[in-house]
Amino acid sequence: MARKSWQLSRRDVIRGAGIALALPMLDSMSWADSLTPRQPPKRLVVTYISYGVYEPEGKDGKHHDWNWWPCSEPGELTFNKSTAPFEPLKDDITYLRGLDHAGGYAMGGHSSGDVFGTGADMSGKETKNNISIDQLAARHYGHKTRYGSLVLGSEGGTGSYGMAKTLSHYGPGRPIPAMHRPQEIFNRLFRPYAEKTVNDVRAELKREASVLDAMLENYKQLHGKLGVVDQQKLDEYLETVRALEQRVERTSAWTHQPLPRVDTKGLNLDASYTDPAEYIRCMYDLLFVALRTDTTRFASFMTESEHSTGNEVGAFATRVLGYKGATHDIAHKRPEESGLWDNWRAQQHAYFLNRLRDTPEGEGNMLDHSVVLWGSAHPHGSHNTRLYPIQIAGGNRLGMKHGYLHDFRDRTEDVPLANLFVSMLNAVDVPVERFADSTGRMIEVLV
Amino acid sequence: MHSMPFLRRTGWMASLLAMALTSRLQSAAAVDIAAGMKGYTSAVKPFFAAHCIRCHGPEMSKGKITLHSIDGDLSAGQELERWELILDMLEFGEMPPEGEPQPDKAERQAIVRWIESGLRDYVERASEVETVPTVRRLTNFEYQNTINDLLGFELDVIRNLPEDPLKPYHFNNTAHFMMIGPEQMDRYRENARQAMVSAIVDLGEPTVYRTTQTWQPGSDLTGRLQPDEIGVYHGPGDGSRSFALNGFPETGEYRIRIKAAGILPAGVEQVPMSLVMGSQLRSDAGTGNYKTVATVHLSNSVDNIQEFEFRGRIENHPRHVFNVSAKGAKPPAIYVTARNLYDNGQLNDHRASAFDSSWSFSAPRVVLRSFEFEAPVNDVWPPEHHTRILFDSPLRTSDPEAYLRDVLRRFITRAFRRPAIDAEVERFVRIFHLVEDEFDTFEGAVRETLVTVLISPQFLYHSASTDPQANRQYELASRLSYFLWGSMPDVELMALAAQRKLNDSAQIERQVLRMLDDPRSARFVENFTTQWLSIEKMHAVNINQDLFPRFLYHVHVGERRGQEQMFRPTIRDYMHQETVGFIGELIRRNATVLNIIDSDFAYLNEPLAAHYGVEGVQGLWLRPVAIKPEHHLGGLLTHGSVLIGNGTGSAPHPIYRAVWLREAILGDDVKEPPAEVPALSDSAGDAAEQAVTIKDLLARHRSVESCNDCHVRLDPWGIPFERYNAIGKYQPSVPREGTRVSGFSKSRHGDYEGYRDYLDSIDTVKVQADASVPHGPNINGMRELKEFLLDSREDDIIDNVIRRLLTYGIGRDLTYLDRFAIKQLVDQSKGSDNRFRDIIVAVCRCETFRNLPAKGE
Repeated sequence: MARKSWQLSRRDVIRGAGIALALPMLDSMSWADSLTPRQPPKRLVVTYISYGVYEPEGKDGKHHDWNWWPCSEPGELTFNKSTAPFEPLKDDITYLRGLDHAGGYAMGGHSSGDVFGTGADMSGKETKNNISIDQLAARHYGHKTRYGSLVLGSEGGTGSYGMAKTLSHYGPGRPIPAMHRPQEIFNRLFRPYAEKTVNDVRAELKREASVLDAMLENYKQLHGKLGVVDQQKLDEYLETVRALEQRVERTSAWTHQPLPRVDTKGLNLDASYTDPAEYIRCMYDLLFVALRTDTTRFASFMTESEHSTGNEVGAFATRVLGYKGATHDIAHKRPEESGLWDNWRAQQHAYFLNRLRDTPEGEGNMLDHSVVLWGSAHPHGSHNTRLYPIQIAGGNRLGMKHGYLHDFRDRTEDVPLANLFVSMLNAVDVPVERFADSTGRMIEVLV
Repeated sequence: MHSMPFLRRTGWMASLLAMALTSRLQSAAAVDIAAGMKGYTSAVKPFFAAHCIRCHGPEMSKGKITLHSIDGDLSAGQELERWELILDMLEFGEMPPEGEPQPDKAERQAIVRWIESGLRDYVERASEVETVPTVRRLTNFEYQNTINDLLGFELDVIRNLPEDPLKPYHFNNTAHFMMIGPEQMDRYRENARQAMVSAIVDLGEPTVYRTTQTWQPGSDLTGRLQPDEIGVYHGPGDGSRSFALNGFPETGEYRIRIKAAGILPAGVEQVPMSLVMGSQLRSDAGTGNYKTVATVHLSNSVDNIQEFEFRGRIENHPRHVFNVSAKGAKPPAIYVTARNLYDNGQLNDHRASAFDSSWSFSAPRVVLRSFEFEAPVNDVWPPEHHTRILFDSPLRTSDPEAYLRDVLRRFITRAFRRPAIDAEVERFVRIFHLVEDEFDTFEGAVRETLVTVLISPQFLYHSASTDPQANRQYELASRLSYFLWGSMPDVELMALAAQRKLNDSAQIERQVLRMLDDPRSARFVENFTTQWLSIEKMHAVNINQDLFPRFLYHVHVGERRGQEQMFRPTIRDYMHQETVGFIGELIRRNATVLNIIDSDFAYLNEPLAAHYGVEGVQGLWLRPVAIKPEHHLGGLLTHGSVLIGNGTGSAPHPIYRAVWLREAILGDDVKEPPAEVPALSDSAGDAAEQAVTIKDLLARHRSVESCNDCHVRLDPWGIPFERYNAIGKYQPSVPREGTRVSGFSKSRHGDYEGYRDYLDSIDTVKVQADASVPHGPNINGMRELKEFLLDSREDDIIDNVIRRLLTYGIGRDLTYLDRFAIKQLVDQSKGSDNRFRDIIVAVCRCETFRNLPAKGE
């Protein structure tokens, strides 16, 4: 089917958004970190795809062409049909085969997405989940930007135990709701004061702080009259009020910094589920602009969540491929459908990586200063929870090296995915030696 | 490794054991086992060793259940969930599995008695010390209704809230689902501000906006649509007329008056017209957002044009936001769209042809002669919702501080669903003084103060007090009202609580019956039924339009070609209403709950009746319709909502349907497919490519032993549904494998009847729908499945409905602690023919629901 020309030109306009942003970026850089003014920020992003990927055992022929893994042997990357969109990014990506989170083993393939970003052992209890890597990084450096982190998803909210719609968690049993409406995300990021002046905002914040004090008294009054179990539940409210207080302080401080000047030109903020490509790219665009303007440095984006058969996201593949069945069932199909679907998802993610790489920054480009994880905790249509599809990109100037596929399946000692998490965190200067069930660093991706 | 789907129910044990144990001598004498550890050592442990440990012990732990190390002392309160599971397995006869040596019946019963009495002893002691959570946030559904009832008008306040999580077969009003966080709190505050702006008006003369439109009848006699007529949706046409309002206020009540009639062909009694307002509706682009003003069924002819009046709140209607152009931004607009919703269930017959004007010209038409909009309209000024909060009082001028206290006290008492406490009032007085400088008017400062009331935990949470001084009957009032209305208690409930007269069985019965008769109970029926039966997922199933060309009304041209027509109720919306309405009807009639398995009526409107092949139903409103055996309907199991939601859109899905039956109807907790098992298609190897149906695929899946462990207990429940296809129609035969089926074509098939003849003429095979249920007989098809369920699983079905109602009513999951309370309710229900309304009354009267310390206080 022929494409209408305006569709092409609109895509070009979207790409143009990066250029319009060059100037505000310089502005924001100067306040971002006054001690090291020209050091580009170090960023960490976690992204997720659901319902598994196609990874047949056959090493050649049509099966291999559509394998999610670009090449069948470990070593230097070569690309097949499924992964073709990443070919131009060869020196910025690594495929890691044979990694997973032991904490997700018992959860079932449709549920282990809950722990993709945390690596926690969550079997049995929601409250056992733990902090995700983006939030751990935000805890260290989130104060340097207007927003500590940005949590995106295609469905919004937190989802429930075993059905997460977010990758980010503050800590045990504290999922962070993902934002999924482009216009709302844009406003939150770049128009936080709406129509008000900074002075109005400051006065309001001051008042809000006092009101929150009073709310705290409300909480205390109710809390005192409850049984122990109930008191624990109500602590969520207390934490919420405290978090709001901290935000008031933080927002007050940031009112002294100018907002980055970002306009909506080139951003298709009306993109909806009915056009998955527009929607996913708009979300990636927003993520890009947030990083570009140093509005935040740490982000997660659940591009699809498991258990989305009950809503429009579950029809993504249907809309994209014109496939007649449910998206979920694609995982149960044979090469072409599965491969085409994987390829489409690869196109979207490659689009984001390309935007980062095509944006010069410091001595290199944005991708050189960002580590981006892409993968799933649901490797294949068989409800398996082991051996995730994992791709790590970026960070060439943060101590990472790329261009290979590494296979850990035959190692004598298990290498957990959390080892990669340790190295990702180290790349953005979070001084951890262990995370979740890690046993060390991921030396394969380190210079 | 496999998971062990376990069954929590008692029931049909006798018949089942009789079958399972035919080869054994049955000992009539009861075996007695000593209570406590002594009995454990002497009888229970040896029983486990003989019958269970081989699969559930140190060597193998199927379903991750092991019995060799369990604590035999139940009074210690350890591992009681595991004990309850064992109890269920033995009582139900699920374990040991078929094919394994079965224990002696008397011995099994003795073990059951020993576990049960140990549990009971513990539960009786424990209920005095163990507390269950009572604090839980209002669900979005409850929040929306509470705001409506608090303000006294409908105001959409949940559009911007994160959606509450939905988990299949679970209610989302339990504490662990209802989290709160800073993001959520922001939205609550935005919403509260919006609510207060709407509720409390600025005094002074409001600007009134009016829009008037009229249409004249035409003089064209060719049968084409005249300027004042709206045709039916048909083919490319979407049967609507749109125009913009000239202007509208930000908030306030509007009034719309229309003059309309219907042009009705012989035999058609009315034509439905709906009026919606919102953004511009673009069927071609698939964009648009609206809220319905009203739907009227026009039965009057053009000789008798009638006037209709509707009221609503303008803030509930989405605005049309224009793109910013070089000239700047145009202010947001609101579009009115009037639609002809006539639907005989066959509007998609002419799919392959272009717009068939002859048919369309003879279809019912809506005649719309005039439209008048006015807002705000106020019968009194200031409006009642304003004076409910800021009432008239001499204090207002003489002692503003005292007036403020009165205002706050009244509002807090309603918002917190119990009398305001002095300290509380003072706290909000302080907030008032904190914010008053920011506002020019008293009204403004009161709004902001009340916003903080609406984000207080006392408003946002349900809770139970431990304060011995508190009158806890208010909690009971709330529990009743949130159960049956999804909202705050009304004046009568509050008054009874104040007088401490509510905690009384007779009074509760009176109140429950009164509440069920109130239109607000429709909220309960809708919310409860939707979650209980997990029917929401039906809406998102992608229907294979090659196989089912007529099911959806779709767009014929443009970018959205082949997608479902938007902006009008669809057959799936009606299916949703069918299921909700069916349960509502059972409650209204106080009919036996067993109607959910089979009934002598269905709940239908014209499109549904056409879909299911029932004659003689006209109009869009749903109503009970008597059915005959040849309709293959009755009960819930044949509802489109269930069958579509548990299919793939192309084929029936026996596993989904089996899981639905076991979860929603029999009350089992079916585990997720475990990790590490091969996918359906993979397990069948190359044969998967040839499998025609999922049923065939399953048969191959079961041939793999690790799969068989679970599926042998699951599939048989879904296979009897096989003759109901993916769009929920009875279809006893399907095209033979490899047969090419052509979609509907007007030129080849003429009309729908012709297409049906064509389908009958192609090479078909009869659908196989027989399977042996575990520990049960061979069941062939739906009729036998229903008979089996009614004969053998009645207790499970009743027990499940009671558990669902109670769980929803108290907002927490039930545990082994509730086991005996439920047993009592089941016995009580069976004593009164399992009548639905009576069961709801009994649930509300039970101690577990009331959760108050002393009866009668």
